[in-house]
Amino acid sequence: MTAPLLSLRNLIISAGGRRLVDGVSLDLEAGRTLAVIGESGSGKSLTGLSLLGLLPDGLEVDPATRIAVDGRVLAPRDERGWRALRGRRIAMVFQDPMACLNPFMRVGEQIEETLRRAGIAAPAERRQRIVSGLAEVELPDPAALATRYPHQLSGGQQQRVMIAMALAGEPDLLVADEPTSALDASVQADIVALLARLQANRRLALLIITHDLAVAGALGHSIAVMQHGRIVETGPAAEVISRPRDPYTARLVGARRRLADVPAAQTMARPVAVTAEAVCVDYAARRLFGTSFRAVHGASLSLLAGRTVGLLGESGSGKSTLAATLAGLRAPSAGRIRLLGHVIEPGGRPLPGALRRRCQMVFQNPYGALNPRLTIGRALAEPLALAGVPASAQAARIVAGLHEVGLDADHAMRYPHQLSGGQRQRACIARALLCEPEVLICDEVISALDMTVKVQILDLLKRLQAERGFAMLFVGHDIEAVRWISDEVLVMHQGRIVERCRPEQLDLSAVRDPYTRRLLSARLMPEFDGAIVEKTGGEPRLHVATAADCLPAW
Amino acid sequence: MTNLLHRLAPLAFTLARMLAQAAGIVVIVFLLARLIPGDAVDVKGLEGDLTAAQQVELRHQLGLDRPVVEQLAGWSWRLLNGDFGASIRFGRPVSAMLATALPTTLLFTALSFSFALLLALGVAVSAVTTGHRGLRGLVDVLNVWSIALPTFCVGVVGILVFSIWLGWLPVLGSMVLPVIIIGIDSAGLIVKPLHEELREAATSAHVRTARAKGLAPSRIALRHLLPTAVPVMLALSGLVLTSLVAGTLTMEVLFGLPGVGSLLLNAIHGRDYPVIQAAILVIAIALVIINAATDLLHRLIDPRMTS
Repeated sequence: MTAPLLSLRNLIISAGGRRLVDGVSLDLEAGRTLAVIGESGSGKSLTGLSLLGLLPDGLEVDPATRIAVDGRVLAPRDERGWRALRGRRIAMVFQDPMACLNPFMRVGEQIEETLRRAGIAAPAERRQRIVSGLAEVELPDPAALATRYPHQLSGGQQQRVMIAMALAGEPDLLVADEPTSALDASVQADIVALLARLQANRRLALLIITHDLAVAGALGHSIAVMQHGRIVETGPAAEVISRPRDPYTARLVGARRRLADVPAAQTMARPVAVTAEAVCVDYAARRLFGTSFRAVHGASLSLLAGRTVGLLGESGSGKSTLAATLAGLRAPSAGRIRLLGHVIEPGGRPLPGALRRRCQMVFQNPYGALNPRLTIGRALAEPLALAGVPASAQAARIVAGLHEVGLDADHAMRYPHQLSGGQRQRACIARALLCEPEVLICDEVISALDMTVKVQILDLLKRLQAERGFAMLFVGHDIEAVRWISDEVLVMHQGRIVERCRPEQLDLSAVRDPYTRRLLSARLMPEFDGAIVEKTGGEPRLHVATAADCLPAW
Repeated sequence: MTNLLHRLAPLAFTLARMLAQAAGIVVIVFLLARLIPGDAVDVKGLEGDLTAAQQVELRHQLGLDRPVVEQLAGWSWRLLNGDFGASIRFGRPVSAMLATALPTTLLFTALSFSFALLLALGVAVSAVTTGHRGLRGLVDVLNVWSIALPTFCVGVVGILVFSIWLGWLPVLGSMVLPVIIIGIDSAGLIVKPLHEELREAATSAHVRTARAKGLAPSRIALRHLLPTAVPVMLALSGLVLTSLVAGTLTMEVLFGLPGVGSLLLNAIHGRDYPVIQAAILVIAIALVIINAATDLLHRLIDPRMTS
């Protein structure tokens, strides 16, 4: 048996005595894709970085750790040794391509650096390789594209450039850390398909790090599930997804599975809480003689009490602007909004304070939405004080509010940074609900959360709505989540509502709008009940650390 | 063509705004100079025993007895025709006096600025790339030095040590000491923010990408790290340069350099209005040029600014 391309044994990384990665072992082989899946903080990214010797300073690597490339052991901090491998044997693609490309250099120059590094001396050959490399990642007009700067490309194009750059030195191993997470849904599927093709054509060893079960299922020959710095389950991709053995994996798969079942939409007539009629929103020009930008074109919708409207769209589609306008935070430039009986028109009166309390908003980033210097209790006391609740009665109301969102009374004493992401978002929801709103506007409230937490928050919102009967606008880009929670789904594209349908009709067989069809066909879904067929290439060579692994194997 | 126009329009707008600022500075100084008690004739009278009648006569000749607004209008008109007027005290044309003073100041400013920039860049870049503790300490020393020690104090001590005790340099007329003193002072202003910016850039995603590509540390520093700090460096350079235009004044006086600073200070003492006004005009225009140049450079260097 030949040595694997890269073999990692008993990786232990700690910071200040706390173990971030706790005994991870894995083997990577040519022509095989391993998907590492886990939630934030599970140590999956650190594992990826350690395969290039790129661990950030200040982290301690346990001396028991063994990393071997082609059977040759390399110390984790051997910068010189790792640098010889980077770019030529091992390459990496990161999450946010905009931040990862040098904004001051043309795309072609950045790829050329890798080529020069790979020892291609002739400039003519380098130029030719840049063009062929960009063509390989399916970018149009590669020669012209090479002369452009990163900010002139779209997110998907940037990530393709990153992949072309990583592959320019013809590495044997590609590590891709969340390569699609920062991209829009329709672009995501293209990049995943591209990676799969490149892996097969070049017989790459590919390590894909992701939080998305669908991405892992689409790319991985085998899957390793990480939790709290350990690999809790490994196996062939189809088997892990359809028959998870570990309880954590089962929860992860179960969460995704639940969203796939669409509950029946409620159709009973209900009083109208908010209506928007042909609302347009402009952003004023930032410069003299500049033109203003219209973010929302003629959007009409109505929110009914006790019902949820889902607003689906990609970044820049205008969905958040529309949400803020419906909440009365922005004035429309044309059209009119009727919010709880008050009419908002261009140039009209702003929303009175008492009404504003009855229409609450919850935002995407719960950490940014909570004042870091206020305890949760004090943050929750603010809406009560505004509503004129006497100080003596506030404490009891806060505790009741926390219980309602599944938090305990002692969470009131904590500061936002002492809570997890899901708990913070619960606190934000509790704060919004203390105002007794009749309208709740949720702007991407689950986007920053882990999969299992997402489902909990969705459950919570649905239960609270059933109990309290508020009208809800749920803004999101995740098709499954929006479809699961909504009674009506609107799809927004370039500032226009292009599709409106009932959630169960949000399917390729029913929708006609071309953009919505593109969105739906680009969706990645894990095949829960797919036949367990081993993808090409022998047994998975992956295993969980055992006591024997801690012994030096060489 | 329209593309070029589109790119240049904001610049032209900025330039116009700055010229208006320069005009504002000149007008305010013109009026302030008239607010100082006593005029050039008083000073001349004290020095040369002019009689009261001669003083009135002289004031009339120079037009100093006319309303301030009229004086301003007359001066501006002559200025637009390229006439700076003549010094009241010395009778020499102001343009000739400026012509002798400007080269000294320009040379002095250029030398001090180059020294400051090289020092700050060298210390900041090497401190970040090597992570050496001594170099990081030097960043703080430079910074504290420029905050805590006024240049004229250091100047006096410098003269004492290098010119009087050691006798290495002449007391007056040498540029070596003032260039070093002003250079260190300005470097201290630049080096700290530059160091912070570079440290942040060193942990940024695109520098990590460069490392993942296996590039050599020197190439990473030069092509990936340094450009990130360029906007901050440009902004700070503009700030330091503008302060240099005014800051060389004390050094010129202390070290006896015949520059614009000395000229201005002497003119203020003698209430020599045409010289004050011309010197301030030159300084104001220099500020405008410096600001416009940093703006332009930023646009040229950062591709994100133009498209």
